[in-house]
Amino acid sequence: MKKILIVDDEQDIVESLKFVLEAADFSCYCAYNGEDGLRLAKEIMPDLIILDVMMPKINGYKISRLLKYDAKYKNIPILMVTARSQEEDKLIGEETGADEYITKPFELDDVVKKVEQYLK
Amino acid sequence: MIKILFISNRKNVIEKYNSFFNKKNTYEFFTLSDDSMILDVISGDTPDIIIVDSLIPDIKKLNKKIKSACENSIIIFLVSSNSADKDIIKYANALITDDMSEDLIISTINITLRMKNSLDMLSNSNKDLADSLYRLNALYSTSSQFAGTLDKAKLIQYMIEGMDKALSFSLTCTLSFCTEEKPVLILNSLYELSDELVTAIKLRTVLNYNSLFKDKKAPLNIDAENLKVIKQIKYPASRFTFTLFQYDNMFAPISLGDNFFGCVEIFKETAFSPDDATCFQTIAQQVALPLKSATLYQEIIEANAKLAKLERLKSEFISIVSHELRTPLTSIKNSLDILMSGRCGEITESGDKFLSMAMRNVQRLSGIINDLLDLSKIEAGKMDFNFAPTNINTVIDYVKSALSEVAKSKGLTIITEEAENIPDIKADSQRLEQVLTNLVSNAIKFTPENKTITISSKLVNSKDIHINDYFKDSVKLVDGDYVLVCVKDEGIGIAEKDLVHAFDKFAQIENSLSRKAGGTGLGLPIAKQLLEAHHGAIWCDSELNKGSEFYFAIPTAKIEQLV
Repeated sequence: MKKILIVDDEQDIVESLKFVLEAADFSCYCAYNGEDGLRLAKEIMPDLIILDVMMPKINGYKISRLLKYDAKYKNIPILMVTARSQEEDKLIGEETGADEYITKPFELDDVVKKVEQYLK
Repeated sequence: MIKILFISNRKNVIEKYNSFFNKKNTYEFFTLSDDSMILDVISGDTPDIIIVDSLIPDIKKLNKKIKSACENSIIIFLVSSNSADKDIIKYANALITDDMSEDLIISTINITLRMKNSLDMLSNSNKDLADSLYRLNALYSTSSQFAGTLDKAKLIQYMIEGMDKALSFSLTCTLSFCTEEKPVLILNSLYELSDELVTAIKLRTVLNYNSLFKDKKAPLNIDAENLKVIKQIKYPASRFTFTLFQYDNMFAPISLGDNFFGCVEIFKETAFSPDDATCFQTIAQQVALPLKSATLYQEIIEANAKLAKLERLKSEFISIVSHELRTPLTSIKNSLDILMSGRCGEITESGDKFLSMAMRNVQRLSGIINDLLDLSKIEAGKMDFNFAPTNINTVIDYVKSALSEVAKSKGLTIITEEAENIPDIKADSQRLEQVLTNLVSNAIKFTPENKTITISSKLVNSKDIHINDYFKDSVKLVDGDYVLVCVKDEGIGIAEKDLVHAFDKFAQIENSLSRKAGGTGLGLPIAKQLLEAHHGAIWCDSELNKGSEFYFAIPTAKIEQLV
């Protein structure tokens, strides 16, 4: 079973993502702040990370950068999720190496489809 | 009495002229036999005429001596009729000879005197003319300086410099209301002023100031003790004393209508002429107008800065609020999605009805947030446009197919009338789709069942575009070809009084149907702004209960200018 790490300080969003992804046969790990997210990423070596941008302690951009510039983790696809939608934010997201950028509110089915696409 | 000094070393000649002039009582005649005493004599009582015997030794040197002591006296040389040295005439105003008759001598003297008087008059009026010209120049250069700045402190400085140029004062005391937050007394002085003198000047200035407002309330109460003083001293090594107050002085307010900018007093050791007074008043009056302009300019700048700040705060507020709203909205939407998908168990018919209702409203809220974000982005100039050659008919087709289902569900038909000769325009197709979607969605919202909505396009010259009176002033089209799109419905229409407000923010026309139809009232203002970014325009024709026609026009450009 493929392992997905969901990092978001909004527990409700984590919950709904976890629900649909588990229904699609993924095994989900959750973290509710950046620090835990980064630690968990290194610990469990997930197959994909769904990462929120605005989080306490370490934000999503920083986590993405830390992982993508580390040979050990750089192949883990990262889907960046945020309420921000300004073009420049999108650019920052891409610079930090995130593979995909999803704006809230999103369609749960779209997220599941994207995850499946990356883990084919 | 005409004073005549006669210098000759010949006794007989002195006697001759003495008897001749003393006979006449219009002359005061005195003589010298050599030039040793001359300076004492002429400096004490300057003669009108000096007659010099040309036989006096070294006459040229004597001439120089006389000229330096009394340049205004007339010098006449007495020469012998057979004298060869006629070129001494160069040094004299006239010549008389030994053999001239008495009448001829008197007449020579009178003519020379008259000539001298005329010359003096001419020279005086020349001097007056030069003075006026100089003053005029000073006024001119001062008013040029006034026109060149909106800095109030500089204007006051130019006023003082102008007064110095035109009137060369000893001291000016300018009470300025406009250069700093509080009134300030600017002292421009030739010499240093002692603290006691400055205190006296302060008191005097406040008295002068109060005297301007005898019958009405002064703009500000000034306390002489706490009045701030700025001293600008030209020669600090010397000092003015209290005798300064015996100098001639002039005083004027610096004001324009009800606007009071201060007052100025000027002191000078010598007397001011009436021309000086006019010049002084003129400069004090002249500076008031640019000071008024500067005040207005400053007010505009401050108001603009305030507005810009408010505008920025508003944009930031909208942006932050929108982002904060999106997160909980996402959670609600996700939960509804999961429930409606049946993954948590079967849903009853009425349960589905209420879930759909919740979902519809989540989508509506999401639309409102997107509209708010769009508007704040456009207003902050942060909206990105992807301009590319675009065919408007493609946009129309897309919107028609996207909204046909919704229209059908309301029993409405969308038809299109697309002209074939339409060239590509430079546009962001997604933004135009947004505009057209908004117009057609509105038409769907406000049109009752079984009616038709028509989307048409045509290529038309600006002079053939008719814009009704309500939009004539706000819609400006430049000369040239436009792609004109019209969305026509048979809906409820817009009342005349509301027509001009159709594109105002949050101005959804008040009636129960529109409220039932929902919406933020931001769609049309967003459409307007998006079109303006395309150098286009939007307007509408409408009749209550008959229907509306919404038009938008985008200028065409040569295709090579598009890419």
